[in-house]
Amino acid sequence: MKNVANESRVVQIPKLNISKFTTRFSFSTISVYVALIVLLCILVSALFPSWLAPYAPTVMHTDRILVAPSAKHLFGTDYFGRDVFSLVIHGSRDSLIIGVSAVLIGVVVGGPIGALAGYIGGIVDVIFMRIIEILMTIPGILLALAIAAALGPSLINIVLAIAISSVPGYARVMRGQMISIKKRPYVAASRSIGTSGGRILLWHILPNAWSPMLVMATIGLGSAILTGAGLSFLGLGVIKEIPDWGALLSQGRNYLTVGWWMATFPGLAITAFVLAINIVGDRLQDLLNPKMSRGR
Amino acid sequence: MAVLSRALMRFSSALISILGSLVLVFFIIYMMPGDPVLSMVDPSTTSPEAIDNLRKELGLDRPFYVQFFEYFTSMLQGDFGQSLVTSEPVLPKILMHLPATLMLTLTSIIFAIVIGVTLGVLSAIYRNRWIDVLVRMIGLFGISMPTFWSGILLILIFSVHLNWLPIMGSDGWATLVLPSIALGFVGAGLILRMVRTSMVEVMDEQFILTLRAKGLSERIVMFRHALRNALIPAITIIGMYIGDLLAGTVVIETVFSRQGIGRVIADAILTKDMPVIQGVIFFIAIVYVTVNLLVDISYSLIDPRIRRAR
Amino acid sequence: MRGNLYQTKYLVVFIALVLFLSGCSQGANPDGSTQKSGVQTTAEPTYGGELTFALATSPDTLDPHRSSRAVAVRAFRTIFDSLVVQEADNSIQPWLATKWTVSDDGKSYTFELREDVTFHDGTPFNAEAVKYNFDRILNPATKALNSRALLKPYESAEVLDEYTVKLNLSTPSSSFLSNLSQAMLGIVSPTAAEKYGDQFGKNPVGTGPFKFVSWTENADIKVEKNSDYNWGPSYVENQGQPYLDKLIFKIVPEEATRVGGVQSGQVLAAETVPPQNIVSLENDPNTQLLKVNTLGLPYTLFFNQRREPWKDVNVRKAVMLAVDVETIVKTLYMGTYERSWSPLTPGILGYDETLENSWEYDPDTANKLLDEAGYVMGADGIREKDGKKLTLNYVDASPNREKRNDIAVIVQQQLKEVGIAVEINVTPDFMTVIYEKSDYDLYGNSQVNSDPNALREIYHTPDGSRVLESLVGGYDPKLDELLEQGTVESDPAKREEIYKEAQQIIIDKAMIIPIYIFPYTVAASNKVNGITFDSLGYPLFNDAYIQQ
Repeated sequence: MKNVANESRVVQIPKLNISKFTTRFSFSTISVYVALIVLLCILVSALFPSWLAPYAPTVMHTDRILVAPSAKHLFGTDYFGRDVFSLVIHGSRDSLIIGVSAVLIGVVVGGPIGALAGYIGGIVDVIFMRIIEILMTIPGILLALAIAAALGPSLINIVLAIAISSVPGYARVMRGQMISIKKRPYVAASRSIGTSGGRILLWHILPNAWSPMLVMATIGLGSAILTGAGLSFLGLGVIKEIPDWGALLSQGRNYLTVGWWMATFPGLAITAFVLAINIVGDRLQDLLNPKMSRGR
Repeated sequence: MAVLSRALMRFSSALISILGSLVLVFFIIYMMPGDPVLSMVDPSTTSPEAIDNLRKELGLDRPFYVQFFEYFTSMLQGDFGQSLVTSEPVLPKILMHLPATLMLTLTSIIFAIVIGVTLGVLSAIYRNRWIDVLVRMIGLFGISMPTFWSGILLILIFSVHLNWLPIMGSDGWATLVLPSIALGFVGAGLILRMVRTSMVEVMDEQFILTLRAKGLSERIVMFRHALRNALIPAITIIGMYIGDLLAGTVVIETVFSRQGIGRVIADAILTKDMPVIQGVIFFIAIVYVTVNLLVDISYSLIDPRIRRAR
Repeated sequence: MRGNLYQTKYLVVFIALVLFLSGCSQGANPDGSTQKSGVQTTAEPTYGGELTFALATSPDTLDPHRSSRAVAVRAFRTIFDSLVVQEADNSIQPWLATKWTVSDDGKSYTFELREDVTFHDGTPFNAEAVKYNFDRILNPATKALNSRALLKPYESAEVLDEYTVKLNLSTPSSSFLSNLSQAMLGIVSPTAAEKYGDQFGKNPVGTGPFKFVSWTENADIKVEKNSDYNWGPSYVENQGQPYLDKLIFKIVPEEATRVGGVQSGQVLAAETVPPQNIVSLENDPNTQLLKVNTLGLPYTLFFNQRREPWKDVNVRKAVMLAVDVETIVKTLYMGTYERSWSPLTPGILGYDETLENSWEYDPDTANKLLDEAGYVMGADGIREKDGKKLTLNYVDASPNREKRNDIAVIVQQQLKEVGIAVEINVTPDFMTVIYEKSDYDLYGNSQVNSDPNALREIYHTPDGSRVLESLVGGYDPKLDELLEQGTVESDPAKREEIYKEAQQIIIDKAMIIPIYIFPYTVAASNKVNGITFDSLGYPLFNDAYIQQ
């Protein structure tokens, strides 16, 4: 304990900047590269799944059900005899669709609410934030569960359910940004030279406010996919020809003792995606908001 | 004085939030397709009149606002209505299941804090060493795995294979271990990241450097000063995370066959048992709001600067 | 959970066969048939011990007259007895009633009752109690559902003396006695029913071999032995008090947890074992597997004949021929479920064996039929007619039970082969979608039932009093006539013929695609002996004991 502490003191006190630099270079940099590669692979499989998948994802090899991973079936086959590797590749598309569209809706709805509340302040702020707080008292997946049940099962409704439940988070972050930025000197300066309120919002505040939103959105991608998986587990998912990862994992969980590969690979795909997106999100945060990472 | 009025403010806004969530949920349920009455009768043998009568009897034929007003006034008198499925009163039902869920939530938070803070501190101290890398990977796994998956894996490993811990049920401490790990793992990952980041920041700050320069032992510097400051963001996370935890019980209680309001509400949503959904959400909202009030108060206790700043 | 609702309506089942693992002898008496090869059973059952039994879903209530879930019956069958019992050969035997006579017009049944029976709360069992029970079911305040359907056409009861009761029906009913044997018409204590009112379901009191102790919702239901019991039905060996001191039903929804519980010894038995685990448990030396085929209406896909093009028998036939049921049963159920061929399951009165293997998977003929119906293959591989694509809206209930949703996934692929696009709609709200809006082309369901009269509710033209739509939406005059005859005909031989013809018509008109016969499965530790199943397919614990 003592030794270690001494050592860290030696490194840190005199050469603060260099230590920062090495921090970034060693673990973070490598992991960011790995994460980017993972995301790239996922993106490619979502866009051009048939380039990578050895089989059509819907073909059922009924003579080869629950076959363990082998050269022929990299990730084995599921209980329909479908190739799990091909399913994971093809499933990336809907998983990304769920994640990206839920986040987009969340940002597009939550962002402006938060921005207006923060920028205008006063009664608007009070009303908007009260609504947001009300939404927040019903925790994420529960709200999604209720909405999914209310709207009925379909991919769009699942996306909506997840999106609505993520709106409060975005609104809150955006509002916080607004409040802190509008007090900054350069905003006051442009106001004093007679720039209109809308212009200030558009040209000075928004560009400075979007970075934490971006970070949050990145991480939100991951949690949207996790929420989707949770809904599948609770029986409110959608049955599609090509299931998304959450649905695959949820189907495979009952086969863990007889065919571990069925749940494990889609599960790892989710985990790898969320992991990668979080690493990238962290790095984005560092890059976009150097202040935060260096400490105030 | 200022503290008191601030607390009052927070309290009243909390009340409004809870009331608002009641209206919101009532509305969502009202919007749900399908008729709860249909799930209560045998469709092939019940006459249309009987169904209409049942609907009237349950007051489901009236407009939204009338139904809500009625519900609200009787709720104020402590009457949360009856389950449409089992016709048992809702309040006792919730009060029976709430303790198990609160217990699980509590142990999960404790697990998340203990693991999250410990690993976060370790990670910050051994910054960039293999321990740090390992710890951060563990943390990232925590927030990247669907809980039902990690839960089932824990069951297969520790209950079925090793037979160390109970596989199901909610009586006794032993049954809490695996569910708390599965549920708290996510929180541990979040807290770990927060603690690490803020520890690292604090460690580089001027006052720590000063303390070090003064010759204070490293241990005192770390734990009394650095950690204390690093805890603040961790507490914020808990306030935000409590909602996820409560919602997470929906999944975890099913996986581990535990009692609790998570399972109650999941069932109720599938059967459109309005009074039950309504009641459970109400209590979850209360817990959420209360915890966040406590978080707010604890800020000012831990860090006097915040009290002044606001 | 909702998924259970419809299937469990009219729950009447009986055993086709009791299969034991590794091909051991049949029958499930304690004296020596439940053991696996190599495991020795003591010949004499031992008293004492606690049996934990994991249920897949939570009962809705333990009030037999209000319940609509099979899982509830599994628990309350231990608490309540019935007037009569139906044996595996469909014969009706005495239970709480010692004998009975039926009037010539078939409209009144006079029962003589056992005189030595008391309820768990000390209330004496007598004619008054029987009358109270059946009137209770008719009383709207009870909100009886399934029991009310089963009791139909009961009108009133007359107490002739302390132990003689006469039941009056409005019309003759050839399935009345069989219905009386069901647990949902079990006899409850009038004193307790009055005392607890609509909370009786949480405080059940009956005359059964076990007394209710407690029900902790979503956790467990505990019952303990009724030491006074000595009026067991004829289908159990032990008519006296049960061997077990206590029986605990644990509610364990997750498959992995349930099966894992038995494997790790944390529960002694678990119901509804999924196919993949049936296969793997067969190699587990510490576990035995009990399997009973339920009878009634098998899991069947119903066409909605209200809609185009399913009005056309040839289009229906094409779909029927294009669905490869054999493959579905082999892959999804890994050979653990049997394929069904008829709207009824084997073993039920009148089951028509000649339907077995009477058609086979034949995509070529299916294509030909579709061509003839005017559906031309489009460029995208989907057929169309008058610019409209041939799509089929396949509705199934959620959550996924018995892998039914997976059947939809396979059917979707198989029908694509012949140019039909299948849209799968899986919803927890199937009640509205199916029975209110009739918004489906194909919908799967099953009913477990002891009497072929069950066909009438589904295939007979609705009489107008129904508020909800029927499943098939298309009817046949000849079929209607047969089903009417079947309800009142008292000669079993004639009934058999009637129902055989009815089955032929249903298959011939391709009204349905029968898929599988559901087996009720129990995985149990080898220490457990003597779990048997009643003629309704529910587990019985009268003979169960735990090997020390």
